[in-house]
Amino acid sequence: MRWEYFIVAFAAMYFVCVSGDQSYEDKRCKCVCPSPAAVLNNTTGSDRKLYIANVQPNKCDCDGVILPQVGADVKVRALEFCPRCECKYENRNTTIIKVVVIIVIWVIMLLVVYMGFLICLDPLINKRAKASYQEHTNEEDEVGGGPSQQMGARGNVLNRVTHQQDKWKRQVREQRRNIYDRHTMLN
Amino acid sequence: MFSVCYGELVSGSFQMESAELTVEDTEPLVGHSGQESLTGAGACDGFLYGGCPEWDPRACARGGRPRQLAEALLNPLQFITGAHDAWSGWVCVLLVGVCTGVVAGVIDIGASWMTDLKFGICPQAFWFNREQCCWSDNETTFDHGNCSQALGGSRDGPGAYIISYLFYILWALLFAALSASLVRMFAPYACGSGIPEIKTILSGFIIRGYLGKWTLIIKVVGLILSVSSGLSLGKEGPMVHIASCLGNILSYLFPKYGRNEAKKREILSAAAAAGVSVAFGAPIGGVLFSLEEVSYYFPLKTLWRSFFCALIAAFILRSINPFGNEHSVLFFVEYNKPWIFFELIPFVGLGIIGGCIATIFIKANIYWCRYRKYSKLGQYPVTEVLVVTLVTAVVAYPNPYTRMNTSQLIYLLFNQCGISNSDPLCSDYNRNFTDVNSAIEKAAAGPGVYRAVWLLFLALLLKLVMTVFTFGIKVPCGLFIPSLALGAIAGRIVGIGVEQLAYHYPKIWLFSGECSTGDDCITPGLYAMVGAAAVLGGVTRMTVSLVVIMFELTGGVRYIVPLMAAAMASKWVGDALGKQGIYDAHIALNGYPFLDSKDEFQHTSLAADVMQPKRNETLSVITQDSMTVEDVEALLKETEHNGYPVVVSKESQYLVGFVLRRDLNLAMANARRLVEGITGQSLVLFAGGPPAGAGGAGAGALPPLKLHRILDMAPITVTDQTPMETVVDMFRKLGLRQTLVTHNGRLLGVITKKDVLRHVKQMDNEDPNSVLFN
Repeated sequence: MRWEYFIVAFAAMYFVCVSGDQSYEDKRCKCVCPSPAAVLNNTTGSDRKLYIANVQPNKCDCDGVILPQVGADVKVRALEFCPRCECKYENRNTTIIKVVVIIVIWVIMLLVVYMGFLICLDPLINKRAKASYQEHTNEEDEVGGGPSQQMGARGNVLNRVTHQQDKWKRQVREQRRNIYDRHTMLN
Repeated sequence: MFSVCYGELVSGSFQMESAELTVEDTEPLVGHSGQESLTGAGACDGFLYGGCPEWDPRACARGGRPRQLAEALLNPLQFITGAHDAWSGWVCVLLVGVCTGVVAGVIDIGASWMTDLKFGICPQAFWFNREQCCWSDNETTFDHGNCSQALGGSRDGPGAYIISYLFYILWALLFAALSASLVRMFAPYACGSGIPEIKTILSGFIIRGYLGKWTLIIKVVGLILSVSSGLSLGKEGPMVHIASCLGNILSYLFPKYGRNEAKKREILSAAAAAGVSVAFGAPIGGVLFSLEEVSYYFPLKTLWRSFFCALIAAFILRSINPFGNEHSVLFFVEYNKPWIFFELIPFVGLGIIGGCIATIFIKANIYWCRYRKYSKLGQYPVTEVLVVTLVTAVVAYPNPYTRMNTSQLIYLLFNQCGISNSDPLCSDYNRNFTDVNSAIEKAAAGPGVYRAVWLLFLALLLKLVMTVFTFGIKVPCGLFIPSLALGAIAGRIVGIGVEQLAYHYPKIWLFSGECSTGDDCITPGLYAMVGAAAVLGGVTRMTVSLVVIMFELTGGVRYIVPLMAAAMASKWVGDALGKQGIYDAHIALNGYPFLDSKDEFQHTSLAADVMQPKRNETLSVITQDSMTVEDVEALLKETEHNGYPVVVSKESQYLVGFVLRRDLNLAMANARRLVEGITGQSLVLFAGGPPAGAGGAGAGALPPLKLHRILDMAPITVTDQTPMETVVDMFRKLGLRQTLVTHNGRLLGVITKKDVLRHVKQMDNEDPNSVLFN
């Protein structure tokens, strides 16, 4: 169990480090214009054109972004074309996005694997322990609280983990009974 | 002072218990919160672990902290301890704010990535959503922002359409199935919006495990999945639950808050504020939301902490910048256009429409939830989720306005038509863009706009129906975004209508000459915003916090009056058509023991009519110095009351105090284990002095069991002639759990919160057995 975590952590680190080629910049200036035809032929159309460049925030305007990218015929009529364009400076953090998305994927995968484990393997492993276990759940909680806690303290780490897991499972079963069977909550 | 310690004992002993009990009431709110300097720091929790080791037990019992703090001024180490004690509240809300901001960032980024997964994947860097993938690509075509770097969707033809349709449905089903089964497997309490339950918890009840670690994890992951599955739900309501989970978990780092349920609720109030703050990027709106909608008891101290917590959370989320637009919500818009006085009429009209839509929604949703609760449908939670997802996906894909992410739809509807907006809703006006800086000119709407309006109308119907079936299925799902979307659609349609009216008849007196200059005097986006506020206000019955949230979303103070008018109109219409908001209706449906502080109690009954025991029954009491351990144990076994009054003697019935069942149980068990010479024959003494009862002589050889430390010597009492109106008010304002009824100083009976709730239900001609207890 322990070294599975190591593999997971290592793989995650590997992913973050290796795939970090910076083909995506963190800043852009995005300008939206009507298509140049609107100026050249005086037609009205609803098609737009995008001009994107990576410039300083104070250069994020028609002169800095659009004019270097258009042909000479539009450049001549810049005074007419530029006021029709809208420029916006945006930034993002690709590293945060990458780390967050990878973490989300890992968490979902871990949960799914654990769910599969609980559904498929756990019943097989705990088949024998089940008889005594069921007896335990029927006990009064106030009576069951004290002694079992002492047992956990006396036992080794593994015992304590198992105990915690049992406690958690009992809680989840109770929640399930409330919601899915008795419909007393969260309808 | 005594009640302080007693409160701590109670909250401490909660942790000892296992998960059997789910819902139950707790100790009074006031009496702890009012005496901050006395509570906390576990001055008395030592009792649970075998007596107060360091301190004089009596000092401990009488609230040892003041003395400790007074001494602290002399000793530097203790001074630091004292300082830590004083600022731990602020540190705790700071941590809650930071964590809430981070978690909200994770949810925002994860959900936007996973939502776009349905449309294709970014081949070079799979972790980007569609817009991020096309970040520096000039070739972005404008229909739905596809670029050549993103896979899928950009090809044309019926084959490609069918394939993307299929993939859309399959991804949606996969996400929904994962979400539903994770919730079912690990933390069933993570489903739903959580706001009704948080309200109930803040009103003084404990739902065990509702704010735990697993609930937090599963709610976060399940929320990302269910939002991505394209269901008609939002992430804003569950954000409040998530923040409250964080508040609960982090308060365990500070014993002052972790050990005291009453004080923990202050942290939870602040956390709820932080949740709304990150959900809408509206810190002040969050604080007001906590005050208006969620919290039950909200003193100024909590207000300041909530303010700080909301501020920190908004700051953290803003610095993560999840949407790349320098704001913490996707649908942030900035307006700066004036509105004309005449427009108040359509705004109020929108409020009325909003109230009607909201009432339809609440009625239908409650009907469906009740059907689910009592019919066979409730036995197939995962299947239900899958069916709802399938239907939503199949119906939603053909209409571009339902296909897109709901937040994006709201953004689109809120937006002004400018050059950068290329949706048919905006681009098919017969207008020329000559200068983006000058005002947009009026224009006649082309056929594309009318087509878009039809699609929007269909989207409105579809969203309304789907949200009715979606809210309440067993995945994490919130209500804010769908209701905002409903209102925004309705508002935009009305707005386009008014705009075209102004274009075709600019000269009529309504517009008072402001529309004759050729500028576009009507902003349909503003109508969308007002409509959104109206529907959300009708659904949740919020007013102040809603208006503040909306104006923080737009950054325009100018629109407060229209928003206020719409919110008020919608609340009135909603209150007239149906009594409760959606959260109160769900509280009533589930039968949570929630004593609503908004209702008035108008009946003339007296405390004597409500109290237990009724005639011919006996009240189980404990005498202060004449019962043996065996007697008390027998009493505990025979009865199931949560607490017992202590009287001088059974004949006189003079009241001494009140002792809780749980404390009694623990104290007896501890005494049997730890104290020498306690047998079944030992006397149980609640009085401070030596035993004076008749049995004292016979059992004089045995040492008595002194339990005066767990006795609440200051229980709240009323006389039997007190009107119930006053009693209900006391329960609400003081957050009581029970009150004792006396006559001439003699104990007559007990009124518990359960009795009060039952009585209120009975008086309102509802089924008193629907209230959920334990």
